Amino acid sequence: MKPLDPRLLRRARAARRYVVLTAGTGALTAALVIAQALLLAHALAPVVTREGDWPDVAPTVGWLAAVVALRALLTGAQERYAHRAATRTVQQLRRALLTHAVALGPRGAGTEQSTAVATLATRGLADLEPYFVRYLPQLLLAATVTPATLAVVLGLDWIAALTIAVTLPLVPLFMVLVGWLTQGYARRRLSTMARLGDQVMDLLAGLPTLKALGRETGPATRVRALGESHRRATMGTLRVAFLSGMVLELLTTLAVALVAVGVGFRLVYGHLDLTTALAVLVLAPEVYFPLRQVGAHFHASADGVAAAERTFEVLDRPVPAPGAAPAPDLRTATLTLHDVSVTAPERDTVAPAHLDLVLRPGEVHALTGPNGAGKSTAVAVVLGLLRPETGSVTVTAADGTRTPLHDLQPATWWNQITWVPQRAVLVPGTLADLVDDGRRISAVARTHAATLTGLQDVVDRLPHGWDTSLGHGGHGLSLGERQRLALTRALLARTPLVVLDEPTAHLDHDAEDVVVQAVRRLRESGRTVLLVSHRASTLAVADRVTPCTAASSRTEPAPARP
Amino acid sequence: MTPHRDPLVQAVHLLDISWRRVALATVTGAGALGSAVALAAVSAWLIARASQMPPVMTLSMAAVAVRMFGITRGLLRYLERLLSHDLALRGMATLRTRIYTRLADGSADTLMRLRRGDLLARVGADVDMIGDVVVRGLMPLGVALVVSTGSVALLAAFFPAAGLALAACLLVAGAVAPLLAVHAVRTVQRDTARARAEVSAVSLTLLHGGPELTVSGRTDDVLAELDAAERALARAEDRGAAPAAVAAAVLPLATGLAVLSALVLGTPATTAGTLDPVLLAVVVLTPLAAFEAVSLLPAAGVQVLRSREAARRIMELVDGPTTTTDETVPAPGTGGRPVLRARDLRCAWPGGRSLLDGLDLDLEPGRSLAIVGPSGVGKTTLLLTLAGLLPPASGTVEVDGRPATARSRPPAVSLTAEDAHVFDTTVLENLRVARGDVTPAQARAAMAAVGAGPWLEALPLGLDTVLGSDAGRISGGERRRLLLARALLGPSPLLLLDEPTEHVDEGAADLLASLLRTDDGPAVGRGVLVVTHRLDGLEHADEIIVLEPDGSVRERGSPRAILGRSAPTATSGPGAPPEGEDRP
Repeated sequence: MKPLDPRLLRRARAARRYVVLTAGTGALTAALVIAQALLLAHALAPVVTREGDWPDVAPTVGWLAAVVALRALLTGAQERYAHRAATRTVQQLRRALLTHAVALGPRGAGTEQSTAVATLATRGLADLEPYFVRYLPQLLLAATVTPATLAVVLGLDWIAALTIAVTLPLVPLFMVLVGWLTQGYARRRLSTMARLGDQVMDLLAGLPTLKALGRETGPATRVRALGESHRRATMGTLRVAFLSGMVLELLTTLAVALVAVGVGFRLVYGHLDLTTALAVLVLAPEVYFPLRQVGAHFHASADGVAAAERTFEVLDRPVPAPGAAPAPDLRTATLTLHDVSVTAPERDTVAPAHLDLVLRPGEVHALTGPNGAGKSTAVAVVLGLLRPETGSVTVTAADGTRTPLHDLQPATWWNQITWVPQRAVLVPGTLADLVDDGRRISAVARTHAATLTGLQDVVDRLPHGWDTSLGHGGHGLSLGERQRLALTRALLARTPLVVLDEPTAHLDHDAEDVVVQAVRRLRESGRTVLLVSHRASTLAVADRVTPCTAASSRTEPAPARP
Repeated sequence: MTPHRDPLVQAVHLLDISWRRVALATVTGAGALGSAVALAAVSAWLIARASQMPPVMTLSMAAVAVRMFGITRGLLRYLERLLSHDLALRGMATLRTRIYTRLADGSADTLMRLRRGDLLARVGADVDMIGDVVVRGLMPLGVALVVSTGSVALLAAFFPAAGLALAACLLVAGAVAPLLAVHAVRTVQRDTARARAEVSAVSLTLLHGGPELTVSGRTDDVLAELDAAERALARAEDRGAAPAAVAAAVLPLATGLAVLSALVLGTPATTAGTLDPVLLAVVVLTPLAAFEAVSLLPAAGVQVLRSREAARRIMELVDGPTTTTDETVPAPGTGGRPVLRARDLRCAWPGGRSLLDGLDLDLEPGRSLAIVGPSGVGKTTLLLTLAGLLPPASGTVEVDGRPATARSRPPAVSLTAEDAHVFDTTVLENLRVARGDVTPAQARAAMAAVGAGPWLEALPLGLDTVLGSDAGRISGGERRRLLLARALLGPSPLLLLDEPTEHVDEGAADLLASLLRTDDGPAVGRGVLVVTHRLDGLEHADEIIVLEPDGSVRERGSPRAILGRSAPTATSGPGAPPEGEDRP
């Protein structure tokens, strides 16, 4: 892990400004640390040697008080700004991450990783705060205070400076060792912790099921055993990880002790004066202090840095360049999928495999097949969200011009499509807002569409009717009701192509009627409909049915021709 | 357990940590930081004394002591860290086990609540947080107390006034700074909770709905929403940064003040001859090292605050009412022919509306029943009540004459809920959840019986294929078949199945029909009760009960009687009212 990742500075403007400012406060702190040590030595030495009295040292003490006040102020200011910078950086990274993840599309971030990205955005990145507030300032202090104080010690007493200079390189050496061991430790701990945590959580999540089967008591011993093995594994790694930390601490403290003893003996022989000795004594620990702090805050900041690195991994994944050609008018254009295959992530299957589909304007086309056959994946291909590994997707305009789908300007393609996925996204708003979706829709048209989909019954039962506010994800409606809402929205769409993915999945018995009627309505108004379904009653409404099949990727599948 | 108001105290109590170990770790930690103070004091003495050019021999003891303290600091700190982490890890293992046991004994609605939101996900983090309070909260506090007292005593022995000044400064740094830091964090937590939740919600909308938002061109609107939420969050965070800044400034200020007051008080005393000049150096320089222990207290205070939040959530979860299973009830029905009998049954989710109006129902091996009702009618509640996991609102549910809530082991009645859990382990282990000694051959046979044979064969490792957490890698239909196979492998003679063929796309009606054929189907000889919202495939049920959307019985009778009359209108209405009580 790099202490200061250049990508962080490149990606987050707030981080750049913060580093510059902190370097400034670091330099100022170095000056104050040195001033404090010298003033303290000059105030103390004359009194100890009985060469001075209070009036002689009073002005020095006064200056010392001023330095103390300034240091406190500087520390406060640094902390104040650190929090702000951390917040801003986290926000800038989060926005970049989310924007990029959306741009990458459904498979871009990897389906397995979509939860990982969600965790990163909602929680992981917040771990950057300790890195900004604690670790980074100490890192910059190590770059300012340590060399400055060492230089002053050199000017005062070269032998003490030599002692420090010999031990000092050992500190970064052990730091690297600490970092190296900690990284391994963190990884092992994380994977052990994650495994243990997952297993315990899995047991907790399955507890209702275990209870329903009357098998809930057994796993308690398993939970206990998991905890015990976790403790042993963690302690094993901690013994190693803390060992390097101990050596680091031993080195720095012992070096200070050696400087103190060395200075003491040279004082006895008169090679040094007390003022110099005291200044060296006060400065010696200050040389090491930032380095030790860097080590101390290393753990706390590791999570945040790891989160930032995972964010950069996502951000570094290239988004395929969008096409530039304007999409032909879908009212007249034909979409052709030829021999399209997509490998399912983490599964040894190709779904869909060798899919051929011709979607002609004005027809109702059903895509059918068993679960896992790749129907939704095929929809993503049609929408241009996913590029198939093999096969071609072309759009043929009315004049016969054929263009590959990925050469089309995405916005001009999507403008002509309304898509109802299996789980529609509902942003907060009133029911009316959600159905209208920013379009100008008359209450009559809305009620008409809602009656057809059965949403009107839901609306009638709500105390505020169409003005009922829904939360994120349509919180407040059941899955089936959400699907009715999405269907109503699609009915009111004016786009030439409507894609319905499993519109009956969460609906009750009469829902097939609803969908069939909705599809008929869409066809009457001249729309092209791509319908994903496996129910016979729904398929009956289609002009054309294309089966979708999956194949194992281990053995080369025999080309299945529909 | 004696009731105590503070959840953190309660939770720490649940860690069951050995206080002897705590004392040992605290003493070791105090030794480590005390070494640093002693190092500063002795080296100050050494240098001040050396400046008087005494015979070298007089300094040798001090020189040895300085080197020794230089070593003990690191050594003791290492030991303390190991001791305290071991302590915490032991406690966390105990706490996890206790949470599991309490929840296993807890009532069904507590358990169902677990599956809602991120409650479950937080349990793991919360336990860690409670463990951390030992290492990062309580231990530093104890160490700071011991080290500070020692430092003050040392200074006071030489020069009481300086000791007093140091005590005052330590008190300020050790109390004011942590209080301010805690205040800052609390302010931020209180003010940002809403904004944070909003940011998370919008983030998830963007991630999960990304493709749809992209296609419908609404991404920018949602991004604008994100920016608004982020601005509110930043404002709230800024408010908390002010007290945090003051807290950070207190430490260097207090340290400086302690040194300054020692100088101001000690210099005249030295001149007046009441304080040895060598000791003046000790008195002035020791405070520089004495603040390290209290410097850890703001973080410790924040840790205690955070851990208390975690403890509150854990205790809420753990303190729920327990419906203790009577372990002494023997396995029922000699010969394995138990009878589930409901009389005049009305059931209700705790605090929710009730459904059914005096239902009578009998289920015995060899008999199959189908309950048909629209989604949202409260089928989950009914099934939990029949399985004895919820007490009935009124009426009785009995298994062989005993209340169903007194569940036997193995239970006569097993329930396969619609959202039954698929564990993150192999297919075989998932089937063994129902019965520990299922052989691979039995497992394959059961999978084949529910039509999952081809799927199983297509899996790369067959029965040893690991399924993702909550079956993330298998489709809804495959998952349903797996759950059915599990129920069939279990020892219970009576099976309650919630929507057993939902999401099963091919042959759903045939599968349901075979399940209901208790004379020759896969559930041969069992009693099967199926709850569904479709009428397809019910022709083999011995009896069908059709529920109205309001939960009352519309009609019941033989399949011929019911299926002949009520055609597709069996279920109507767009489902349940929002926030239905029965959708846990």
